[in-house]
Amino acid sequence: MPGLGTSLGRGGATTFLQDLKNSDCILIEGSNFAECHPVGFRFVMEAKARGAKIIHVDPRFTRTSALADLYVPIRSGSDIAFLGAIVNWLLQNERYFKEYVVAYTNASSIVNERFQDTEDLDGLFSGWQPGDDRADGTDAYDPSTWDFEYDEVPAAQGGGMVKVLKRDPTLQHPRSVFQILKRHFSRYSADMVESICGTPREKFLEVCELLATNSGRERTTAFAYAVGWTQHTVGVQYIRTGAILQLLLGNIGRPGGGIMALRGHANIQGATDIATLYDLLPGYLPMPSTLRKEQTLAEYLQTNTKATGWWANTPKYAVSLLKAFYGEAATAENDFCFEYLPQCTGDHSTLPTTIAMKDGVVKGYVVMGQNPAASGQNAELTRAALERLEWMVNVDSYETETASFWKREGTDPRKIATECFYIPAATILEKDGTMTNTNRLLQFHDKAVEPAGESVSDLWFIHQLGSRLRALYAASIDPKDRPVLDLTWEYPHEDERERKRGEPSVLKVMQEINGFDVQSGDQIASFTDLKSDGSTAAGGWIYSGVCPDAHTHRAKNRTGDEWTSLNWGFAWPANRRMLYNRASADPDGNPWSDRKKYVWWDDITQKWTGVDVPDFPLTKDPHVAAKPGAGGLDAHSGADPFIMQLDGRGQLFVSDELKDGPLPTHYEPLASVVENQLYTQQSSPALREWKRRDNRYNEAVDPRFPFVLTTYRITEMSGIMTRYVPWLAELQPAAFCELDPQLAVERGIRNGDWATISTALGEIEVRALVSGRMKPLRLGKGRRIHQIGVPYNYGSLGFATGDSSGDVIALSMDPNVSIHESKSLTCNIRAGRRAERRRDDADADVAQDKRTAEGESVAHGID
Amino acid sequence: MESTSGTGFFTDTTLCIGCKACEVACKQWNELPSDGFDFSGNSYDNTRTLSGTTWRHVSFVEQMNVGASTIQDRWLMMSDVCKHCTHAGCLEACPTGAIIRNEFDNVYIQPDVCNGCGYCIPSCPFGVVDLISPAGDSRHAVYNTATLREDRGDQTAMQVTGGVAGKCTLCYDRQTIGFEPACAKACPTESIQFGNVAELKATAKQRVENLQQRGVDAYLYGVDETGSVGDLNAFFLLTERPEAYNLPPRPVLPSTHQPAAYASAALAVGALALIGTAIFRRAR
Amino acid sequence: MTDNLDPPALRDLEPTVSYFGQPLLKRPSWGWSVIGYLFLGGIMGGCGILVALSERRGDSGDRKLARNAKYLSLALAAACPVVLISHLGRPERFLYMLRIVKLKSPMSLGVWGLVAFSGVAGLNAVTAFFGKRGGVLNLPQALLGGFIAGYTGVLLSATAIPLWAKGKFHIPALCVCSGIAGACALNAMLLAADHAPETIHKLERLEMVAGLAEAGILLHFGSFSGIYGKPMYDGKRGERLRTYTLIFGTAVPLALNALPIFKGPLKTLISSALTLLGGYVLREALIEAGKDSADDPKAAFRQPE
Ligand SMILES: Nc1nc2c(c(=O)[nH]1)N[C@H]1C(S)=C(S)[C@@H](COP(=O)(O)OP(=O)(O)OC[C@H]3O[C@@H](n4cnc5c(=O)[nH]c(N)nc54)[C@H](O)[C@@H]3O)O[C@H]1N2
Ligand SMILES: Nc1nc2c(c(=O)[nH]1)N[C@H]1C(S)=C(S)[C@@H](COP(=O)(O)OP(=O)(O)OC[C@H]3O[C@@H](n4cnc5c(=O)[nH]c(N)nc54)[C@H](O)[C@@H]3O)O[C@H]1N2
Ligand code: SF4
Ligand code: SF4
Ligand code: SF4
Ligand code: SF4
Ligand code: SF4
Ligand SMILES: [Mo]
Repeated sequence: MPGLGTSLGRGGATTFLQDLKNSDCILIEGSNFAECHPVGFRFVMEAKARGAKIIHVDPRFTRTSALADLYVPIRSGSDIAFLGAIVNWLLQNERYFKEYVVAYTNASSIVNERFQDTEDLDGLFSGWQPGDDRADGTDAYDPSTWDFEYDEVPAAQGGGMVKVLKRDPTLQHPRSVFQILKRHFSRYSADMVESICGTPREKFLEVCELLATNSGRERTTAFAYAVGWTQHTVGVQYIRTGAILQLLLGNIGRPGGGIMALRGHANIQGATDIATLYDLLPGYLPMPSTLRKEQTLAEYLQTNTKATGWWANTPKYAVSLLKAFYGEAATAENDFCFEYLPQCTGDHSTLPTTIAMKDGVVKGYVVMGQNPAASGQNAELTRAALERLEWMVNVDSYETETASFWKREGTDPRKIATECFYIPAATILEKDGTMTNTNRLLQFHDKAVEPAGESVSDLWFIHQLGSRLRALYAASIDPKDRPVLDLTWEYPHEDERERKRGEPSVLKVMQEINGFDVQSGDQIASFTDLKSDGSTAAGGWIYSGVCPDAHTHRAKNRTGDEWTSLNWGFAWPANRRMLYNRASADPDGNPWSDRKKYVWWDDITQKWTGVDVPDFPLTKDPHVAAKPGAGGLDAHSGADPFIMQLDGRGQLFVSDELKDGPLPTHYEPLASVVENQLYTQQSSPALREWKRRDNRYNEAVDPRFPFVLTTYRITEMSGIMTRYVPWLAELQPAAFCELDPQLAVERGIRNGDWATISTALGEIEVRALVSGRMKPLRLGKGRRIHQIGVPYNYGSLGFATGDSSGDVIALSMDPNVSIHESKSLTCNIRAGRRAERRRDDADADVAQDKRTAEGESVAHGID
Repeated sequence: MESTSGTGFFTDTTLCIGCKACEVACKQWNELPSDGFDFSGNSYDNTRTLSGTTWRHVSFVEQMNVGASTIQDRWLMMSDVCKHCTHAGCLEACPTGAIIRNEFDNVYIQPDVCNGCGYCIPSCPFGVVDLISPAGDSRHAVYNTATLREDRGDQTAMQVTGGVAGKCTLCYDRQTIGFEPACAKACPTESIQFGNVAELKATAKQRVENLQQRGVDAYLYGVDETGSVGDLNAFFLLTERPEAYNLPPRPVLPSTHQPAAYASAALAVGALALIGTAIFRRAR
Repeated sequence: MTDNLDPPALRDLEPTVSYFGQPLLKRPSWGWSVIGYLFLGGIMGGCGILVALSERRGDSGDRKLARNAKYLSLALAAACPVVLISHLGRPERFLYMLRIVKLKSPMSLGVWGLVAFSGVAGLNAVTAFFGKRGGVLNLPQALLGGFIAGYTGVLLSATAIPLWAKGKFHIPALCVCSGIAGACALNAMLLAADHAPETIHKLERLEMVAGLAEAGILLHFGSFSGIYGKPMYDGKRGERLRTYTLIFGTAVPLALNALPIFKGPLKTLISSALTLLGGYVLREALIEAGKDSADDPKAAFRQPE
């Protein structure tokens, strides 16, 4: 989640659910908190009971809205305009938290004069390069013009001059981040909000007032979002805007404040931590790539070690990881087997890979715990792609639409060559293990029952796969087979019976992730013990400390309390529940207010202390000055709370890491019902799309598709898991759409009857739920628009069935994290049922559109 | 009417997020089949009502202002359940004594005593209890077989419980081993609070006061009642007229009709008997 | 419902009066067997009364009547439980009703009444078989008969079903009248065969009185019950009730019996058959309308006090 990563330092929720009850105001936007995170929502309810104001900004009036004090309607896809206008309001009315902003953000940094804003270039930042001028052929930004301005000062030690950021604490300098921010959002006004978002101005102003009055020394406001903010072609910038707001309001790192990024599946956080993402190694170390100078360990470390801030430690973590991977074989002489690591050659994320399958580039597919044939975008393309495979292995607890794609409606199994293997997966109750939840909290769960029938744990499957491959290569002397043979792969289970079954030990795996001293084999207590000389090994540095010694597994801790519950489970990093909590104290180290005490500097003990593990060097005096030229945290002063960042500050302006600009800008979604009212640049220039016959898009403002379409989930349904359970199926037995009564009347659609939703890609039929909860929006003086909602959880199997919304959503994605666009789309709707299901002729040719054809082949990594 | 001892529920609808965890937890614990898979179009409520096999039911009351009206939009959610009445119509009516007031002061149906006469059904002023019909949708049956405990062999839950009356047991089995009811346990927001009724009432009155101070039209349904049914051991905090949640504003205990009814019968018998005597005497 | 805190007014945004028009009450599960039981039970009770009426040392016809009524009582007492049991969800558990006596439960009392009646009826039939008079048995049989004829009405009225509860003054009396009328009709039929015009005449007169009363009550309930009565008096069911119970079941027999021009066994057979038909349709109307009454939330929200 680089939205948070680039702004604050770490790609995870800055706070934890239990702390929400200390909020004075909670802004829920981009999440249907109550429906999708019902158990966590209890803490919102507690806050409400204590008098906190709950705000829900959403295109639909949901169960969350029903419990909120203030429901604010918004047009799907327009949040940056909404949030940007709040930024503008705060700055114009001087309602931001000045001391916090000056001390803890980069507002005072000066940006170099080559930088030009979207206000100057009508929707583009400086540095935009069309594909022709670029090696990889894709249009993209060259971020060099976004850099800051530096001063030359004498180094703290060792003489010589060094570069340090130029700053203006008065925030008056015209090129200071603060002034640039002010200009950038100056046109984001209440009127704009009315005409872009369709949000009544008084409601917008009410939100501004609530946020401002509930932030500052005495009070704090929390933000909660989930995929309502991420699943956009500008998803990362949505979150950036949220982060900017929370920094201006001074709510990051403070009790009752922060940004609660609500994660998805029970272990989705863990899956990103220990790297299921193609471009990440465990612990958020980048995957080596041919697109960067990372062909040797030295080069890799050169590229990925930051001079200042925590990432100065990269070598320790990278080398320890290699030691964990390759053990004995990894030596200083052979670069610790760095070249064993595969290298990215482009974007290998799900969407491009699916296209590559469809185009016959990718020939084999292992699907574990995912059901793309139902939940994927352009699901029919996905299903057709599966038909082009030579083989597919599906590891799942149920027979999914993916597993059975070859016998779906309208197919002839005899014509499908894909060889399919199905491995029944043990469910969570049938295996030991840990889950990392939305609090970054690791919790261990014990096996409750033996796996049913033939089912096996995922760990067993992966381990067997490795072992059997190793057996096949055992005799090989070919160097290219070493990566397989040199893997450390022994995790004998403690329990006799399990061992016989070949079940690996989750404990041993976790101990390896935690890290140990190579010589003594002793567990290490914290990642601060990790070394870059190969004397330590750690499979995922951020988890270090979860198994600090041979006998302890802190994920098993179960003593909670009313608040931080430090002895319940283990939260990374270092069992810290709230990130950047140094910011809960003022620059001098005293709590901003008694009411909002959390972590502070204790003069007597000369230590940071409080109710949580300080996110700061424990004994670093708040008054020590930054040491110019020094490395790591010494380059930060004792008042710089964001230790992961180069300058130790929260980034209002992100100088280089993002592919679509240093500041959030309102762009319309790829398919929108209106023109961009702020710039001639209609949608994000950097978004990724595939213009092909089998992936047709609705035009930008397409008269054939006059309505906004958004998709989401409902409490009663998850996916196949819930559709097979009658008790849940009876609660929401059929795929449906939600639409407002006015539209229903216009289109002759009766409540409960069938309705067909269409896009350029295809049609789906769903039952109509006509409800006043869906409201037509008037865009300023302009036209009235209707929004239609469709839960995405359905498919053809189970007791509760229905068309998948993925069948009307074409593939497109954001350039930073390759997240698909599934929240703000356009469509048409009519009464009645759809025609025969659309089938892709598996040979739909790749379109000749330059921008995508080439961009995409890069993505495939075929050239 | 104050029932001082005994357990019950305080269901605070202002805390309900409509997640239906209670409804599902109940079915799971009591191994009740689903009631079928049809789309109702009634907001998010597809199970529609309490039934012989749905003992917790969450209603969704939509009060969205579609026209020009300026009333604030509301989507009220409420988890309904057997009220475990102080004066229970079902209990009074039951001819077999299958329905008893157990040691927890809950109204409990002993399935092994019930003979399915069906008299409790029209005798419940809240329309709670119903017969579990022996006929089950095969799709559920398949499923239930799979989840049945060994001791039930290959019978489906339907066959096991079919032909008797079904309603909330207030998790008698759980209470006897010191567990709280499954629905209350599952409720994430404490909208369902289980405990000693007297204490629950105290809490509830507190809650009402502080909601009213915040300008919420809250009141208790089933507390300090003046009607013949008396207080409800499963009572509710509501913010809308009872009818909106499909609750009777003035439930009447059916047995209160008996005196009049018996009198009517006696009168008729008496009158006709007299006339009859007259007729048959005169005849001689 | 609470008087101390009165609830806010229901906003007129509601799609329907109630919650999506869902019924508040549950439909009674009863079908033909209960209808049949109410019908036969009524006649049985009537017979019980006739036994006593006829056995004050009347003429030969009356004596025949007494014997028939006793045998009929026994026969029906044997038939009723069978019908009753057949409606149980768990027939094998019929005896569970005999676990307890429950004064609050009309159904419980009814079952015991049935048991007692069967006993008395049995003894009385045996005595009759040996050509003896009932003596002390007659009064109990009459009282129990009256109870049986009436409790079915109480059983219905003592429920939450709006129609039935509203009918607490009418329905029990209706059941009694119709039961006695039915009993008279059935016995008249049997006597028609062996020429006992005297007795038949008495029966017909009692039947006329009962019929008139029944008709009167039925009509009065129609207006008295207001909205609660709709399911019974409106639409097809109302038609059926008027046609078969009021016209063919009461008016026509009344005419046939009152006007001297009609005479002879055939007339007796016809008028009796019609009366019985009317009685059955009445029971059917009561039960079926009760079910629909349960489906009407408007009525159920205003439960008759
Ligand atoms: N019951 C249940 N719970 C779940 C899941 C499930 O399948 N079922 N899935 C889990 C997973 S994987 C995830 S990722 C999370 C997702 O959790 P959420 O993000 O909370 O869930 P969604 O319903 O996808 O989207 C939230 C809301 O975003 C709104 N929305 C759509 N477009 C926009 C927009 O442009 N702006 C704003 N402000 N809002 C918009 C939708 O109306 C919806 O109400 O839920 C998790 N929890
Ligand atoms: N239109 C639209 N599309 C969307 C979204 C949207 O909001 N709108 N949301 C997107 C989001 S956020 C997400 S996360 C995806 C979710 O999409 P998917 O992850 O594909 O959907 P699920 O049904 O959750 O798939 C989880 C699978 O894992 C299996 N499973 C469960 N436990 C185990 C286990 O222990 N081992 C193994 N091997 N398998 C197991 C389940 O049986 C199920 O088949 O959908 C995405 N798609
Ligand atoms: S499903 Fe699991 S993870 Fe999701 S809210 Fe419920 S308990 Fe939490
Ligand atoms: S609510 Fe109905 S079923 Fe429950 S106790 Fe009261 S009368 Fe009986
Ligand atoms: S159905 Fe069962 S519980 Fe209901 S009254 Fe008859 S015997 Fe009692
Ligand atoms: S108490 Fe038990 S039986 Fe009653 S509703 Fe709750 S879970 Fe179901
Ligand atoms: S579990 Fe609680 S919150 Fe969820 S529906 Fe039931 S009562 Fe409401
Ligand atoms: Mo997700």
